[in-house]
Amino acid sequence: MNVREKKERQSGEPCMIWDATLESLAWKSRGWEQVCRYQDLEPADSSMEEENETRKINNSFLRDHNYATEADIISTVEFNSTGELLATGDKGGRVVVFQREQESKTQPHRRGEYNVYSTFQSHEPEFDYLKSLEIEEKINKIKWLPQQNAAYFLLSTNDKTVKLWKISERDKRPEGYNLKDEDGRFRDPSTITTLRVPVLQPMDLMVEATARRVFSNAHTYHINSISVNSDLQTFISTDDLRVNLWNLEITDRSFNIVDIKPANMEELTEVITSAEFHPQQCHTFAYTSSKGCIRLCDMRQAALCDKHCKYFEEPEDPSTRSFFSEIISSISDVKFSHNGRYLMTRDYLTVKVWDLQMENKPLETYQVHDYLRGKLCSLYENDCIFDKFECVWNGSDSVIMTGSYNNFFRMFDRNTKRDVTLEASRENSKPRAILKPRKVCVGGKRRKDEISVDSLDFSKKILHTTWHPHENIIAVAATNNLYIFQDKVN
Amino acid sequence: MLGRGVKRKWSCLEELEAEELPNAPVIEEKKQDGEEDRGEQQSKSNMSHLQQRQLVLSLCLEKLQHYQAGMELSLRRSVLLINTLRQIQEEMRCDGSDVRLHSVNPDVCLLRDDFREDESVTCPGCAEGDRESPSLSPPLSPEMPFQEANISLDLQKSLPNTVSNTFSDAGNAMGYLSDLALDDIFEDIDTSMYETSDLPPAWGAGSLWPVSVSFWPDEDAKSRSSAGTLQSCLLDLNELDHIMDILVKS
Repeated sequence: MNVREKKERQSGEPCMIWDATLESLAWKSRGWEQVCRYQDLEPADSSMEEENETRKINNSFLRDHNYATEADIISTVEFNSTGELLATGDKGGRVVVFQREQESKTQPHRRGEYNVYSTFQSHEPEFDYLKSLEIEEKINKIKWLPQQNAAYFLLSTNDKTVKLWKISERDKRPEGYNLKDEDGRFRDPSTITTLRVPVLQPMDLMVEATARRVFSNAHTYHINSISVNSDLQTFISTDDLRVNLWNLEITDRSFNIVDIKPANMEELTEVITSAEFHPQQCHTFAYTSSKGCIRLCDMRQAALCDKHCKYFEEPEDPSTRSFFSEIISSISDVKFSHNGRYLMTRDYLTVKVWDLQMENKPLETYQVHDYLRGKLCSLYENDCIFDKFECVWNGSDSVIMTGSYNNFFRMFDRNTKRDVTLEASRENSKPRAILKPRKVCVGGKRRKDEISVDSLDFSKKILHTTWHPHENIIAVAATNNLYIFQDKVN
Repeated sequence: MLGRGVKRKWSCLEELEAEELPNAPVIEEKKQDGEEDRGEQQSKSNMSHLQQRQLVLSLCLEKLQHYQAGMELSLRRSVLLINTLRQIQEEMRCDGSDVRLHSVNPDVCLLRDDFREDESVTCPGCAEGDRESPSLSPPLSPEMPFQEANISLDLQKSLPNTVSNTFSDAGNAMGYLSDLALDDIFEDIDTSMYETSDLPPAWGAGSLWPVSVSFWPDEDAKSRSSAGTLQSCLLDLNELDHIMDILVKS
């Protein structure tokens, strides 16, 4: 339970970028500016200079122990359906929810900032005694439920268990109990001479998170995605081989709707990598595989949706065939467009937009970092080739965004076909500073502001990003830093 | 571990990668231009291809083995690694049979484009084997000599444990089984029900292992390569099937 925190702000330097409007990115704004940055505290013995600066900002992040910054690595970010709240999950099983600063006439420039609203421990590490393996508490995905009353609800999941959390505010408390003192001690009944009705008194705002449902014991393999249905009554959880359908009210059973486990595990050559419900059609969902194909299923057809009704796959280009072809074709994320007509997939080197009516090839293909194609062997060696990047649509489905290495992230405008590479880093930007586009140099001649492929830092990867549902505000997770950028319009 | 830029083990790797990228379009051009430079160009890029294949193979094995040591496996990662391994193995087989069947440049087999066009140089096995599903293993002639003995020994030692550990529901807890004397456990199992006429399924199930190598690492690989031990190969594979069944049944 936490009180709200305000964050400190500094002035930035303007810089020139591209233009954009709020409705569709026609590139008229001054550019993307950093709204705020959150970072977990580093160990006390760290000698980095920025230490003092960061300590002041976010005490609410302080864990009981300072030792493990790995636990602070952000593993998922998600705006809620109105954009008022932003949730992050980390490797240590914590969920931190940010709330947007309310509009204020006296301080209009503070609009758009997000402050810590609630922090809670969603999952704890567990031990599977049967297999002698530890179950990580890392939060793999968070999905919000649309708001139906004063409280907020979200689903968070680790490898094995999905939990429904209720986040509610409490700003009043009852005072004047008959049988209890103000500090909770029971009063001696013989001393009570009058009766009074407890009164609700205002108190400091408290935000509480309570686990309302725990959906467990349904997955043998690791859960990679969850998706709430548009009917707001059911959701699916997906692991490597199965997709299970749950009712939000019922935790002791789920329906298995997809099962690709072969009778003989030796024959296993393909796993499910992600799944999502259609945003409007409550009977339709899509799931993607490690072989780069997407299957669209209709739950009305059969109880077990092993037979897809649509199968999306792009035939392989024989000229680019290599040992790594399959690995780089493995889809790491799938997202339906808001209008429900398209879906977008992310594989290692590209983002593809598919028209649901066209199965034989994608509508659009965007190269995220094609300069890595010649480095696949090295990336295989250091395991980076297995990194799972996510992708996201903007509210109007006109721009798509995904992350890359060196803390770069990329945006592609589907209409103008323009793209931009931006960097989320402390060294290169301050709050309110406008991001400069970045460029990776492939050939020999490197221009002044360019960075060569060999200088890219592959340990700095942006895997998780999210876009506000209506406005041009994005949240980008760079290891243990959360950056929030907004599109600055003149 | 990961600093700025990517560190590589072999210094030749940079050259290999630098070669590959420009080589791909260059090879296309050369094909159209003329045949004279073709052999030279091919052998240059194919040497790097072979070297890369060797590198990828050893990395694959290393990764699969490393991930058995007490950590929970990511099934996706394991499947991708094993598929890559199968792909390499199939290529190696293709190489091997090419050299045996024809004295043509074995590198032709590596150029996938040529597969379908030039039927005379492709082995029947490779022609059948679909690129997209490397798990389908074509029936192989038992007399096929074993070209790359070192690699096969690696495979023979690591793969049986690798695959069973990777895919079993019990995760890497199965590692201890490899230490047991499996012969003792299964000696009372009647294997007469496994008929030798079941050749294709047996091959299919044993797709990961080169034909002439037995499941049991301590046996001599060379003694298996002659046709006379075909029967024992089959029995081995049948036992393997049975054991795999038991191990991975959930």
